[in-house]
This record gives sequence, structure tokens and C-alpha cells, in this order.
Amino acid sequence: MKLTYIQQLPYRHLPDDFASRHTESVVTNSFHELVDRSLVHTDLRDALDESMHAARAGFDAVALQEHGSSSYDINPNPDLGAAALAYATGAEGLPVGIYTVGRSLGKSREPLRVAEEQAWLDCLSGGRLLSGFPVGLAYDANINAGVPPIETRSRYDENLELILRAWTDRKPFPWNGRFFQSMGVNVWPRPYQDPHPPVSITGIGNPNTTRFALERDLGFNLVTLGSDPKVAAAPIFETMWSMAAEMGLDANPYRAAMAVTVLVGETDEDAERLYARHVEYSLARGIGRIPMHRLALPGGISPQGLKVLMSQPSPPADLTAPSYADAVSAGVVVAGSPARVREILADYARSFRLGNLLIFLQVGSMPIELTKHNIDLFATEVAPHLRPIWSEYDDDNRWWPVPLGGQPVSKNQAETAGARLT
Amino acid sequence: MSTSTMVETRTVSTWGDQVRLQVKVFGTGPALIYLHPLGGFVRDDFLDELARTHTIYAPELPGTSADDTFAIHKVNDIFDLVLVYEEAFRKLGVRGAPAVGQSFGGMLAAELASCFPDLFGQVVLLGPAGLWFADKPWTLEVLTGPPSDLPNLLFRDPSAERPKAMLALPEEPAAAVDALAHLTWTMGCGAKFLWPVPDRGLVRRLHRITAPVLVVWGEDDRIIPSSYAYEYGKRIAGSTVHVLPGSGHIPQVEQMETTLELVSSFLTGR
Repeated sequence: MKLTYIQQLPYRHLPDDFASRHTESVVTNSFHELVDRSLVHTDLRDALDESMHAARAGFDAVALQEHGSSSYDINPNPDLGAAALAYATGAEGLPVGIYTVGRSLGKSREPLRVAEEQAWLDCLSGGRLLSGFPVGLAYDANINAGVPPIETRSRYDENLELILRAWTDRKPFPWNGRFFQSMGVNVWPRPYQDPHPPVSITGIGNPNTTRFALERDLGFNLVTLGSDPKVAAAPIFETMWSMAAEMGLDANPYRAAMAVTVLVGETDEDAERLYARHVEYSLARGIGRIPMHRLALPGGISPQGLKVLMSQPSPPADLTAPSYADAVSAGVVVAGSPARVREILADYARSFRLGNLLIFLQVGSMPIELTKHNIDLFATEVAPHLRPIWSEYDDDNRWWPVPLGGQPVSKNQAETAGARLT
Repeated sequence: MSTSTMVETRTVSTWGDQVRLQVKVFGTGPALIYLHPLGGFVRDDFLDELARTHTIYAPELPGTSADDTFAIHKVNDIFDLVLVYEEAFRKLGVRGAPAVGQSFGGMLAAELASCFPDLFGQVVLLGPAGLWFADKPWTLEVLTGPPSDLPNLLFRDPSAERPKAMLALPEEPAAAVDALAHLTWTMGCGAKFLWPVPDRGLVRRLHRITAPVLVVWGEDDRIIPSSYAYEYGKRIAGSTVHVLPGSGHIPQVEQMETTLELVSSFLTGR
């Protein structure tokens, strides 16, 4: 299986009384009240250094997301960090994928800029780019970027179609879309990979998104929003694989990915000693401090999708209170000795048929030296035990860059008359 | 109004048959058009009283009819919507009837009356959206905030009988999920024409209105400040403005009797 190191860029120095004085880590969080700018400088540098450390430690790819107006992941555009990583990994000769998990197309008002930036990254990296095009979180697409929730998915559909066509058409073409018009589309460069980098989409369990990923042959990446994957992810992947069977598609595990936060110690107690306060920081001041209403806005999800999501097991009502022990027992993080971590991750991979895990190894306030320690323990004590899983499909991974051993992507991905998300 | 009065649903083909607008029709007497707020069409005491003397025509915003939720994707912007409604009123033969619009529906009524000055005989605007000025900013917090805030945003006193009845969900869990999913989607359909700042340029068009206009606003409106009542008033020649104490955003619910009296008097020219 493929193991991707995924990096967020949190501000790591929020005050201890943050949770009592601030309601959220997005949208309304006060920059000037909370931040020392020199520490933003070091936090951003450290995050890229951590990603480089992971690339050197042998991860298959390094990944970044996109979150605007956010203190838990200061990353307005993953192409920025990806450019730095594409150059630096290339300069060191590291055969590692550059995965922009989150270039949100539901929020983008400049789709040709996305097409050109991503093609530029693919060329710079020599064809190591994996393009993740999620719809975008509601607070980011609709509050930060001002897109009406009910138009997020139609904007996504148009942007994806335009980008794939801009990448693959041999000649310039005019574009008369609802959201974007051009007299002549002729992006420079075109992608290095032929026909284009593998494309994936991230979902939270809306079956429309899962079906769309299958119909287009896109990679599907699940984020479970602070719930126990054994409870929340299991039915979603079960639905995905039965949909695939109904559609006559192969059950290739490399279609599927899930993001998990992993904290490895020498023993369970050692992990708690090392990581507990950083997990609690993240829950109270970071990703745990995103209220539910920032993640779902009226109009963003169809009535049919809403009924499914509203009937799913709810995440814990209050993510800001749990302790490290709560987070571990609730499956929000996978933490402990290498043996424990191996066992849980292998179970996820096998029971959900995951060919990919996206692994967060830095969390909240965790400093760079501790993050590197976590990366090293994972790379040496955990990764070797997971890699052989699904090796029988290694020769048929069309969701991975060709220069890194993947197969060319399916033509379905760029089929302009293909499935739509709206 | 006796509860036996049946609500009939008429379907009107509009927009080149891309939008089959569903119109709730009930009551007796001359036609009266009712344009519902963001929460969708809900029959209430105010409408039932008006239905004693008028036949209410209440179109459901495209997308908010339970069996046709994707119709909203056929309507791109406020001008598409205005043309869809104008076409429907023409086909229903109710041009020249008075119109009552609440909140989002008030904005829509004002847009229609601005674009087609002969469309309505009279116009009642109950806490209408549509204007936004930097010196009295208001937000779409009813859509972007936690759902638990909704009652306090909508009503001065959410514990009173009529507000409570309006906010009630079915007791049976599956029915409650269905109702909540439908309400959420309905609000999302209206939000398309309000997002992200509820100003589609109506301020530049209001001067075109020639129909008599009554503006009624709840003094304690926590969504759109009641000072907007006068902003409407001063931009529509000959309009009448009433700001009602003891009411939040929905005067037809919280000050039902007073609102009904004002509206009835206005409609009969008293």
C-alpha cells in the first residue's frame, strides 16, 4: 500500500486560555490578538522541514491541504508549499509524490490558474504530482470565498471539466461556462504526466461524492471529522465497494484512501507522555475547534445526501473537551506503541480495502523535533509492516504517478461528458 | 378560517418548461399573491385569516417543492427568478393582484414590483431583505450560525405559542430527519439569491416601483435591523411604514393581529 505523509501548518503557540476566550479556530479567530508574526515564520518553515524529513524517511508522497482564514492549518493554497517541496525533493533526488490533497474546486474562481499551477508543479517535479480536487469545506468555500453553498458543486463540476480539458486538449479552445469564460484556453505548461496527473477527491460520506469518484475513476479519500473510523468510515467504504460492484468496477484498493492522525511512542505510556498535550492543544485550540455549523451550510448538500448524513452516527458533540485518553479510545487519533499502531492501521487498511493511508504525524503544538521523532518511529517501526498489504494490486495502481511506478490514469477521469457531482 | 379549507397545488410550466413552479392556492375571494420567506411556504394563522377574503396564490421557490428539489439549478440568479415568477403570474391570470412578501419573499416582491411596475396592484413588504448598507450591516447568521441560535434570531420571544408552533419538528425521528433535511435545503435554495452579502442591487431599482407599498417591520428584528424599514420608505414614493413593538423578524407571527389589521386596511384602501 501507499503511505503518504500529510502535513498541516498550524499556528503552534496559541495561548492556554484560547478555548475559554475564542469560539473557533476558523473564520472569526483574531490574528492580531493571537499571533506573534515571527513565530508564523518559524512554524511555516518547520512544517516544510517536517515534510522534507518525511520524504527522506521514505514516505511514498508528501501532501498538503487548503484552508483559508484558519489557525489550525495556515494554508491558503497547497500549491505554494508543494512548489517548495517539489523543488527541494527533486534537488535531493527523492522519488516521492507531491500530493496537493486540497486544491478545492468548489471555491475556486480562477480555474485556469489552478490548471496552470498544477501543471507547473507536475513539470517542476518531473511528473510526481497527485492532484487532489476536493469540493472544499463549507466554511472555506462559502464563508471565506463567498460562493453560495448551493452553487459549490456546480462550480466544482465546471472547474473540473475545464481543468481536465485545459490539460488534455491539443489545441486552444474557447470556454463559455456559467462561472468562467475565456476567448481561448491555452495553459502553459501542460502537465508532465500524459494525459495528466492522477486526480482524487475528498469526501465526508455523502454518497453522491463516492458515486462520482467511482464513475469518473477518481481516487476517493475519506475524512471522518473526528469520529471513530471503525464506526464512521466502515459504512461509507462498505457503500463504496458495493456501489463499485453494482457498477461493474474493479475493487482495486488503490481507489481508496483515508486520513488518520498517528502518534508513535516506544510504548503506549511513552506515546501519552510525548504527545498528550499536543493532541489536547489540537482538540481545544485547533482542528477540534471547528464548530459543526462551519462544516455544513444550507444548500451545500442535497436533501438526499442530508438524510444520509443526518442518519449517520454523530461525532462527539463537543470535540473541545476530550482528553488524550478520550481521543485515543474514541479512535480520533491512532496512538501508542508501534505494535498497537501497526495493528490498528493494518485493520483499517484490510477491513476498508484502503490502498492508501494519509498520515498526519504533526498535531497541534507539536514542535519540529518531536514531529521528526514521530516520523522516524513510524517509518522504521510501522511502515514496513503496512507496505505489503494489497501488494497484489501494485501493478495496477492508476491513481499514482507513472514516473513513481503507477499506471496511466483512466480516460474516464478527463471524459468531459462524464459524471457530474451536482 | 375553517381547517377544512383545502390547499390546492397548481403546477405552472415556466422558463421554457425547465421550471414547473408549484403554487399553493387556497381561500376565497379575489387573488392575493404570497411570497414565502427563506424557510419555505408554511400556512399560518395570518395567511388563514387573509384567505377568508382572498384566494391566496403562494408559489414555492424552485427547489423547495419536496418532489422537485433540483429545479433550483435551473434558475441562476435573481433576474432569472423574477422572470420565472412574472411568467407564472401571467399564466395564472393574477397580474394586478396585491402581493405580500415576507423577508426573502419581501425582497422578491420588491424586485418584481421594480422590474414590472404593473405586475402588482399593491405590495406589502414584511421585514424584507434586499437592502444592505455598511452603516447598518446585517449578516446571514440564520444560515451560517449554529441551528440552536435560530429561534432567538427569528423571534423576540421564541417561547410564545405561535413561534413555538412554527419551529416545531415532527416527534418521530425519521420524520424529523426528513423535515430537517427539507428545511435545510429550502433555506439553501433561497440563500442562492442572498449570498454572501444580501444585496443584489435592489437599491438601484426601487425607484421604479409605482404600486402602493406598505412596509411592516418588527421593532426588535435581530436579523435585519428595523431601521431598514425607513430605508425602504424613503426610496419608494408614497409608501407607508410601520415598525411594530413586540416583534422580531416575523411580525405576521409575533404581532399577528396588528399586522393583519394593517395589511387588511391597506388592501381595502381604508
